[in-house]
Amino acid sequence: MQGMGAADGIELDPALIVEDDASTQQRLARLLAGLGGRGVHGISTAGSIAEAKARIAGQVPRLALVDIGLPDGSGIELIGWLHSHHPNMPTVVVSAWGDEETVLAALQAGAIGYLLKERDDVELELALQSIRRGGAPIDPFVARRILTLLPAKPAANSADASPGASADTLSEREVEVLHLVARGLSNREIASATDLSRFTIEGYTKSIYRKLAVNSRTAAVFEARALGLLR
Amino acid sequence: MKRWLHWAAVLGLLLAFATGAADRPTPPPAVQVLDHAEAAPSDWNAVTPPATGWTPVKLMDFWTSRWPHHDGVVWYRLRWNQADAAAPAGLLLDYVCLADAVYVNGSLLHRDPGLVEPLSRSWVQPQYFLLDKPLLHAGENTLLVRVSGLSAYQPGFGTVEVGDPDVLQQRFAAGRFTRYQVRLFSMAVNLVLGGLFLMLWLFRRHDTTYGWFALSTLLSSAWAWNYVATNPWPFTSTDAFQAWNSVFYFAGLISFLTFLLRYCGRRWPRTEAALWLSLAAIVAWTLLSPASAGAWRGVPGVVGVTLSYSSTLLFAVYAARKGRTEQRVLAACMLLPMFVSVHDVLAFYGLIRASGYIAALASPLTLVGMGFVLAHRFSAAMRRTEGFNLELRREVDTATAQLRQTLEREHALTVTNARSGERLNLVRDLHDGFGGSLVAAIARLERTPSAEAAATTATLRELRDDLRLVIDTTTQAQDLDLDGLLAALRHRWDQRLELAGIDAHWRLDGLDGLQLGPTRSLELLRFLQEALTNVLKHSGARRVELCVRHEGAHLHAEVRDDGRGFDPADHRSHGAGLASLRSRAARLGGRLAIQAAPGAGAVLQLECPSP
Repeated sequence: MQGMGAADGIELDPALIVEDDASTQQRLARLLAGLGGRGVHGISTAGSIAEAKARIAGQVPRLALVDIGLPDGSGIELIGWLHSHHPNMPTVVVSAWGDEETVLAALQAGAIGYLLKERDDVELELALQSIRRGGAPIDPFVARRILTLLPAKPAANSADASPGASADTLSEREVEVLHLVARGLSNREIASATDLSRFTIEGYTKSIYRKLAVNSRTAAVFEARALGLLR
Repeated sequence: MKRWLHWAAVLGLLLAFATGAADRPTPPPAVQVLDHAEAAPSDWNAVTPPATGWTPVKLMDFWTSRWPHHDGVVWYRLRWNQADAAAPAGLLLDYVCLADAVYVNGSLLHRDPGLVEPLSRSWVQPQYFLLDKPLLHAGENTLLVRVSGLSAYQPGFGTVEVGDPDVLQQRFAAGRFTRYQVRLFSMAVNLVLGGLFLMLWLFRRHDTTYGWFALSTLLSSAWAWNYVATNPWPFTSTDAFQAWNSVFYFAGLISFLTFLLRYCGRRWPRTEAALWLSLAAIVAWTLLSPASAGAWRGVPGVVGVTLSYSSTLLFAVYAARKGRTEQRVLAACMLLPMFVSVHDVLAFYGLIRASGYIAALASPLTLVGMGFVLAHRFSAAMRRTEGFNLELRREVDTATAQLRQTLEREHALTVTNARSGERLNLVRDLHDGFGGSLVAAIARLERTPSAEAAATTATLRELRDDLRLVIDTTTQAQDLDLDGLLAALRHRWDQRLELAGIDAHWRLDGLDGLQLGPTRSLELLRFLQEALTNVLKHSGARRVELCVRHEGAHLHAEVRDDGRGFDPADHRSHGAGLASLRSRAARLGGRLAIQAAPGAGAVLQLECPSP
């Protein structure tokens, strides 16, 4: 049932919740545990970056849900750290209201998805299920921002439509999908507009996020070179 | 019939008068014209007339026709019969060239200062004397005129008139006026005008038209000295005087031609160079041999006159065909003096007999033409300046207005930015504080499911959704058009409707680039969200169609579901929800139309003006 990009589903158990607000912590734990199919049972929680690092030192989780505003720093920092030290551990950022820019920064730091606290439980469940399937939720704002951040692939390679074909440029198909998302179309509508399955669409999203992270790293290296910090 | 007789009588009477007048005896002529004389040549220094060699001549006499190369003195002797010597008589010598001494009955009456070189120049005006007893006596009187002249310069003697002093005095005055005073006046005007244009040119060096006109006018004045000078000063001989006079004429002509060219905006380098070279040749000739240059002054004269006439005609043709008004006026003012001057030219070359030149009478017309041109140019320049000032003021006004607009726009922008900054802060406070609590409350209630909690949760969720719209429109309405704002709403609701098993179909038409502004955007989004909430909560529909269309100056929004419907007239069932939708439509300046019936779904149609 899965398309090319969504083929690699991920295991969420055990999961680490890095969140300083107790009620949100409990809410996320409850959602993970009650996830349809098989719930996540190995859940550990951390209230700060330091605590999170300590937990990871004890046991490397399969998934980390990271809040932005932590008492000892920004969740984005932690995501960046996790991305470089445990590149195989997927991280998902948990964001509050009106923090789309933060979501974008987290995606650039290496997060593979995001959860919006304002959403209903059912919606968050859907998002977590999508992540487990190997997809990633996306919304029009994020799609629009990515279109301005990532360069489109030169037309010469456009025949190759598979996601992830190029490390940090968007394929023609990805640009098409992003445009449809930006217009507010649902995955189902996008699927019927592009003749792809809706799960393949989710896979595209994940691949796009990966490119965003690679691109921002390339940009950072380029900037560091320009500033003389790297040789 | 009667009337005819009456006129005939008047005519007869008139005829009778006329014949009567003609029959009256003629009075003795008041003035005798003496046009017969005897002439005899002699050398420069003769003090008495020669005894022999007298030839009868008819006046006016140019002696070169008889003695072609005679330079020196010719004596003219005339006799007249004076009927009455009781009253004084006037004596008018019309023309003497060049210097003379006048004797009546053997007594010296007048003697020019220069009877040998440098010769006086008495030809420029007539001479008048009053004769009285005892010099004048009844019967025959003898007039002897000793004329010093040079064969190259038309030496000769004109007619003599004797008689009533009043009549002759008047004729003398008239002759002096036309031959001398007009010339003097013309020269003075030329000098003044030349000086004026010279100063104009000195202040406006780039306007060479003025410079050439000044030069030509000043040179013409120098040439005109020929007609008013009574002796060859500052030259020591008549030859030198005439040679240089010819140079002045030619130089003045070339300057005038150059002026005409510049005035027409032309530059003929080769022709101009040729003209100046020929002037240089004439000057060299004059310096090397003033005698021959003076004597042969007719040669450059012919060239000059030809040039002058042809260029005047050329200019006239040019002005007539494509000239401006003032050029035509100038051409007309040049043509008339040209025609008049034909007389002078013929006289100069001896083709007609004339005691004086008359071009001076017409030449001021050229000055009138130039005066017109100058005034015209001046007024045109003034008009341009005034127009320029006007334009400048208009431009300054425009620039000032633009600057003011820019400043106002910048000010408005600053105010807007400050306001949106405040709004953003407010919204940030809202979602950090109120929003956080709201979400936490919903999460808490979701954990404890009960009927009461479900109702509260639904209300809280509506509040949360509304807050979401407030945040979206406040933080993004400046950057996003309606399309972008609707995309966010659509994205959120698609998932929610899908979870509830409702098929959502959206149609957005013509919204690209449409911006309603934060307030109206929020109103429209709230309208749609409330309509969707109603569908989700009450309709039990399987399908909902949303359509937002921008057409001309109108915005249409439609929400159509296939749910259980309601009775729009029944205020109890959906009253509060519909009232809220109506008030939103009113705030958008539009109208809400509801089509619904129990069991037949519902259609909400909003139509409002778009900005």
